[in-house]
Formats: sequence, C-alpha cells, structure tokens
Amino acid sequence: MNDTTPAVLTNTPGSKRSPSPVPRRGLLFGALSSAFAAATVAARAEPPEIAADVDPSSLLNRLIARTSFGFTDAERTRAAQLGYAGYLEYQLNFAAINDSAVESSLSALTTLTMAPLDLYNVQPATISNQLTEATIRRAAFSNRQLFQRMVEFWTDHLNIDITTDQSRYIKTVDDRVVIRGNALGTFRAILTASAHSPAMLNYLDNDASTRISPNENYARELLELHTMGSDGGYTQQDVEQVARCFTGWTRGSGATHGQFRFNPSTHDTAQKIIFDNTPYRRVIPARSASNGELDGMDVLDSLVRHPSTAAFIAKKLTRWFIGEDAPQSLIDSVAAAYGTGDGDIKAMVRRALSPNAVASASPKLKRPFHAFVGPLRSLPTVVNSTSTLRSLLDAAGHRPFYWGPPDGYPDTITYWSGFLLPRWNFGASLLFVSNGGNPGISGIMVDVSTFLDGLDTVDAMLTQISDALFGGEMPPAEKARIGNYLAVSFGSQIRQREAIGLAIGSPSFQWY
Amino acid sequence: MIHGCPEYLALSRRGFLRVAGSGAALAAAASAPAWLPRVALAKDYRSGQRDVLISVFLRGASDGLSMCVPWGEAAYYAARPTTAIARPDSTNPDRAINLDGFFGFPPGFAPLIPAYQDGNLLVVHATGSTDSSRSHFDAQRFMEVGKANDATLGTGWLGRHLQTTSPLVPGSTLRGVGIATGLQKTLVGGPQTLPIPNLDNFGLTGSTSSRIDRLSAIGDLYDLVPDPLHSTAQNAIDTMALLDQIEFANYVPQGGAVYPTFSTGVAFESAAALIRAQVGVEAIAIDVTGWDTHATQGSGVGSLNNLMSQLAQSLAAFHRDMFATTAPSVTVVVTSEFGRRLAENGTQGTDHGHGNCMLVMGHQIDGGRVLRNWPGLAAGQLYENRDLEVTIDYRDILAEVVQARLGNNNLSTIFPGFTPTIRGVTL
Repeated sequence: MNDTTPAVLTNTPGSKRSPSPVPRRGLLFGALSSAFAAATVAARAEPPEIAADVDPSSLLNRLIARTSFGFTDAERTRAAQLGYAGYLEYQLNFAAINDSAVESSLSALTTLTMAPLDLYNVQPATISNQLTEATIRRAAFSNRQLFQRMVEFWTDHLNIDITTDQSRYIKTVDDRVVIRGNALGTFRAILTASAHSPAMLNYLDNDASTRISPNENYARELLELHTMGSDGGYTQQDVEQVARCFTGWTRGSGATHGQFRFNPSTHDTAQKIIFDNTPYRRVIPARSASNGELDGMDVLDSLVRHPSTAAFIAKKLTRWFIGEDAPQSLIDSVAAAYGTGDGDIKAMVRRALSPNAVASASPKLKRPFHAFVGPLRSLPTVVNSTSTLRSLLDAAGHRPFYWGPPDGYPDTITYWSGFLLPRWNFGASLLFVSNGGNPGISGIMVDVSTFLDGLDTVDAMLTQISDALFGGEMPPAEKARIGNYLAVSFGSQIRQREAIGLAIGSPSFQWY
Repeated sequence: MIHGCPEYLALSRRGFLRVAGSGAALAAAASAPAWLPRVALAKDYRSGQRDVLISVFLRGASDGLSMCVPWGEAAYYAARPTTAIARPDSTNPDRAINLDGFFGFPPGFAPLIPAYQDGNLLVVHATGSTDSSRSHFDAQRFMEVGKANDATLGTGWLGRHLQTTSPLVPGSTLRGVGIATGLQKTLVGGPQTLPIPNLDNFGLTGSTSSRIDRLSAIGDLYDLVPDPLHSTAQNAIDTMALLDQIEFANYVPQGGAVYPTFSTGVAFESAAALIRAQVGVEAIAIDVTGWDTHATQGSGVGSLNNLMSQLAQSLAAFHRDMFATTAPSVTVVVTSEFGRRLAENGTQGTDHGHGNCMLVMGHQIDGGRVLRNWPGLAAGQLYENRDLEVTIDYRDILAEVVQARLGNNNLSTIFPGFTPTIRGVTL
C-alpha cells in the first residue's frame, strides 16, 4: 500500500463527464470539453479575457507547449529567465540559437545535402528514410523548436507525397530549400520557392502542362490550398487562366535533371486576365516566350497581395498554434500582421502567440508525430535508429511525407481523436524492455535508471514524471491512478517503466 | 481495491466479458469455425431485414466515363483521343465490355460481370452532387456530410443513420468501423464507431503479463475525461476484446473466393470476416485512393484501368464470398466526390469534372442494369459546357438504401433539407 489516494477512481456513471478533482489551475479538463464543443459547432463564442488566475509559470509552460514538441528542463529554465516575450523572441530569432549538436548527429545522412542530380543515383527508400530520420531527430532534439514546428506547418501546407514519381528523389530538396529555407521568412518567399520546386511541379502535374493543353492541377491547388482558400473568391475561369500562366514551368533534364526549368517553347504567350470583375483584376500582358516566366511571377504577386490569402494563411496559422476554436478577432489580428506586402511570417506567429491568446486557448490535441516525438525529447533517451519508430508512425497514420492528397495531414480533433490505440502502444513499446534487454522500439532506449535515480517514493516518481512530461502540471487524478499502478510492486523497474508508458498514453498527455 | 478482481469487473463493466462468459457463447464456441469469435451468435442478420452497409469512397474524383464507358456516344471518342476505352465491337483487344448496347465496363471491371449478371450489381450513371465545387476537399466533405455548403453540419450521413436507428445487435460495442487511421467523415457522429486501419492488429503492446492491469489503468484514466477521448477510449477497449476473438488471419472465404492481397482486397476480406462474425457491426467505410488522374491515366490499359481492376477484384471476391452463401445481407455503395472532365487534357489525363457514376451491390439491389437519366455528351448537353451533367442526385440512391435496406425512415435527419426521388434501386 502507499499513501496515494484511490478515491478518485470510483467510476460512478455521473462522474464520467464531470471529472473531479479539477487540475490545479482548473484549465485542462474544463477546457477540453469546451474545445471540442467549440470545434464542432459553427457558432463560436468570443474568448474570455486573459484569466487573472493564470500564474506566470503556467503561462510560460503553455508557451513552451505551443512552440515545441515537448518540455525539457533546459527550455523551462530558459523561459523562466527570459520571460514570456523574451522567450518567444529567442525562439523566433532561430538562426541565433546554436543547433550544432543535432545537426552534427545528422552527418551520416548524406542525402540531406546532396545535389539533385546526385540524388537520382540513390535508392528512393534511402532518401525518404534519411529525410524522415532527420525530421524526427530535429523535432526531438533541435533547440530551434518553434522553427521545427513551423517546418511541420509548412510541410503540411505545401504537402508533397514522398512516394510519388519524382518526389521520391527530390522531396528532400523541397524540404531543404522551400520549407526549411523559408519557414520563418516571408510568405512571398516560401510560395515563390514552392512554385519553383520541381518536386511540387511534378506532384501536381504542372511539369507537363503546355500551351496546347494546360493541366489545371497545380493552378487549382495553388489557389485553393496554398493561398486563397476554397471560399477565397476565385472562379473556374481563374483556375484556367492561372494554369495558362504557369505553362512551361517544369523541371530540367540532362545536367539540370531535378532542377527547375522554364521552357519558353511550351509557354502560352497570349494575354491572360485573373480575378476579372473584382477589385483585384490583373491583366497579364502578352509577352515574348523568353519572358514568359514573368506570367507566373505576376500571378504569385497577385496571390500574395490578395486579402483572401492573408485571411486564409492567418486562419490556418492561428489554428495551428491556438486551436480550431481560435477566435475570429485573433485571426483578423494575425491577418493584419501578415501586412499588405510580402506576408511577414514572424509577425504573424508573434501575434498568434500573444500572451492573451495563449492564456485563453483551449488545449489542442497532439497529432501522433507530436505525441511520439515529445517523450524522446522530455525523457533521457538514446536514439540509434528511427526505422521502427517510422513504422509506428505509419501505423498511426502520421508518417512524415506520406499524406497522399495535396491538403496535408489534417489538424482537427475530429480526425485524430478516434484512433487512440497507437498512442497507448507507443508509450507501452517505448518503455518496454525484453528479457534480453532489447527495447520495445528497436534503436530507441529510455534510460529509466537515470530518470528515476534516487527517488524512493511513489510521489517522488510521479513528481519526476510530471515535471518531465507535463511541465509539472500532470492532473492529480491521473497521478493518483498511475501512482496506484506503481505501488502494486514498488521498486520493480518493469513496473516503473510501465507507469511512464501509461503516463505517455494518458489523456492529458494527448493535449498541449 | 484497484487491482485483482476489480480489474476483471472493470473490463466486464465495459461490456464484453459479460457476453463472452454466457452459456450460449460457450455452447456456440464448441461448434463454430475456429476463426469465429467465442461470443453468443446474434440473431440471423438476414431475418432482421436490415443490411450491413459498406460505404466505399473513391478519393480523388474517379473517372466515371471510364468506369462505365458510354461507348454509344461519338462525343466521348471525339473528346478523348488517347484516353477513351475502345468500343466493344472494335478490334482493340483492350476494349469495353458491353453491358446494354450503350454502356460498357472497362477491361479492368471484367471481374464484376458475374455480380452484374446475377443482378446484384447496379450501375448508376450521370449521378453525383449537384453542387458545383471542383475542390476535392470541399466536395468530399459535402458528399460525406450529405449536404453541400452547410458549415453547421459536422457529422456524416452514415453516422447520423447509426444515431437514429437501434443497434442491429442489442448492446453491440462496435456498430461502425472506418478502415482508416482517421475516421471518415461519412461515419462521424456514429455511436460505437471507430477508425481501425487493420482489424487483425488491434491490441495493446508491451508485456502480456501486465496487459490486463495496464488496460484497466487506461480505462480508468480515460473515464476521468470528457468526450471525445472518453468515448473513443472506452470503445477502443471494448473493441480490443471483441476483435481479439475473431481470427481474421484464419478467415476462410466461402464460394471459392480469393481476396487480392493489396489493401483494398484486405479491407474487404476483413469486412467479410467482421460481418460473418455477427458481432453487431452494421456500417463499414473503406477508402480507395489514387483516382486523381490528371496525367497518363491510360485507356483500356494503363494506370487507371489497373486501379479499376483492383477495385473490381476486391468487390468480386466479396461478392463471391458473401452473395452465393448464407452470409448476412449486405449492401455496398461506391461513390466519389465528382467525376472528371469529358475532354482529356494535354497530359493524357483528365481534370476535375462534375457528373460521375456510382456502383451499388447488394442481395436486395435491383441490379444488372445501368440506371440513368442520360443527359448526353454532345455540345449543348454538358454541364458548364465541359462536364457530364448530374441528373440523379447521389442522395436519391443513398436515401433509398437507408430506408429500404437499413430500415431507417429518418431521412430528413440523415439528409437534411433534401427530398429524395425514389429511383427503384432496391428490390
């Protein structure tokens, strides 16, 4: 027996939807139900003003949670030193953060820096696996956590399925140049880079679109998914005009295999008009074929400046950080931070993560990648291989770069809340060790001896688990239940490991 | 008080041990095939006059003009110089298979001919949603929700069917299954409904000796929280126990059926095992991807025909397994968000269009024909001058199936704001 109380575990029917006791700051569980209700009902209430009772360290926790893949002692200490605004600026100014440790751990992944032409001499599986390993390691171990979360955002926004045709070889270049090169730059820059990405042009069939018969696939998704949104005010005629503007945007061959190429001979040189009969009407003049690339640049310029684009990007970015029930007033404010010129990504992120917004945000459901990478970051973990973890992500439906359609992995509670088993199994497998000493996820070992070293009570262990994985805010009721699990055979390292696995599978660990 | 016997009770509370421990179940287990679950056999599904429904969604907008070729239309051949499927009477070996003197199946659909000839397979043409969206994502959502442009409707039509009808098997812990990692919008809102990508692998990992203990802890932890995680966790725990008792790997199809080993075939085989187990599953959603054929779709041979062939092989195996034998009564509906443009593009593919075809297969479906109100493909007959018109709303078909085969009359809840025209798709 131990001194934790089992009282909260009586499961009377009436207690199921009114959990008790309420966590310390009264936020998590109460807000969970409102988060889902708000996400599933169109009408959304205005957010409450910043709660007066949100204590500063809890607010810092929430900032770290929203800007990272998981807590570490170092980040919590740094945030406490820098304060809310200072820590946010520190993460936004990512280039100044020393990240040499994680980057040097990637040195064996030679395809990450390989030129396009050389990639075509490598097996696609090798390229894909190396990019996935780098993505996992950077998410787990990079000090530039906000940057990595923005990489995740843009990877979905400008989705390319790495199993398709040319992407098998050159998605890694898109990741390097388009996504990581511009994740906290300007929207104009990332959109323009994407439009010149041979992997994207191939994925959406623009590389074969010609004057004779333009292919609308890229043009439509450029308008619908990349910039204005499906209700952004464009027409089928606009899709056709934009497709004509981008004829000739293709990829090279021979020495320029895998690189962007504008082919004047397949470009439609005639005049086009986009957004006709709207205030954003633009005539794209007839041009010589050799100047034809300017057509697409004109389109991109119009799209970057269109207010529907600012609104669409702002809404998606705000929901990324704050959640599906992000208030329209906040989205409008983020859209204002986009500006009227190039789309200032840092300014938008800064606005979306303002203290009031974070303080009043409902908890957001982690997607499997987030839930799986976090514990590697928060627990003392040695990662030698990510191949089994990659398979677990696949089974959970969230392997990086494996989403087929161009809309990217969903970011909604409805989509991700149904399949909980992989989350429980991740916790169970991560902490499992066979009789022979092999970890449940091969290549990844959690050092539980170090983690729980010197802790000789159930409560001390629970505090350690809560500090590492929950920023010290694990709900008392969950602590109590896991404490009971630990107490059954206290001192057994197998039991301790399983208790940590249960904490990773617990309801509150699924939210941030 | 937390471990030992109470854990048994905790699991029992959630439903399955109570069933598995009953005398009837033990008696049934003695004579049932090995792959069947050791649970009480439900009443014969067939006697209940209610079908199990399988909803198949072809993601990416399938080319209905290839799935059911209007070979009697000269305009079809004029618009598709490289992607048309040749007339049944042509000398091309990869030609269409004549159905009724006007329409034909592509070569890849040859496996479906027996189901068509048996009268179990109905093709509906020039159907779909009348909404004009050519966005995959909007159009899929609209179709799965059952209504276009209504942001207040967050649940799917099949989910609302489950909401508004009593369980096929009283006390069933699993009524709806999406064979997917994220629940298909079609099923959202359904009670006792989960996404399960692999029915044969739905159990807790880690040490087997502590498995019951850990499951009990997980159940208690999720008892503490509100929905959606509360319900999905309890459903998952119940379902783990349920599926653990069905040996999917040892499932023996009837009628000599052999399911293909690619994912669509596996999904149909799992669905068949689940339906035959009669554990109360009454709605299953299956996705088939890869239909967004903007480039090099081929004609009577090629990538689209291969994709159609995979679908047809899977449906045909299911038909052979479930229709010639004493299996529960089933209806399968196959839909896609919209069709593709009549004219091919410059990359031997087709861009986003409008009207499409649907497939409906069932014991009580009036099949063996192409149901249509054919608008034609000539100039002046096309939707927005470029696409096949929609002359039969997809909800006409679904509503009749819901009413006649699923026994649910709450059509105004399932398809709000829509008054279906009964087209006579059921017997």
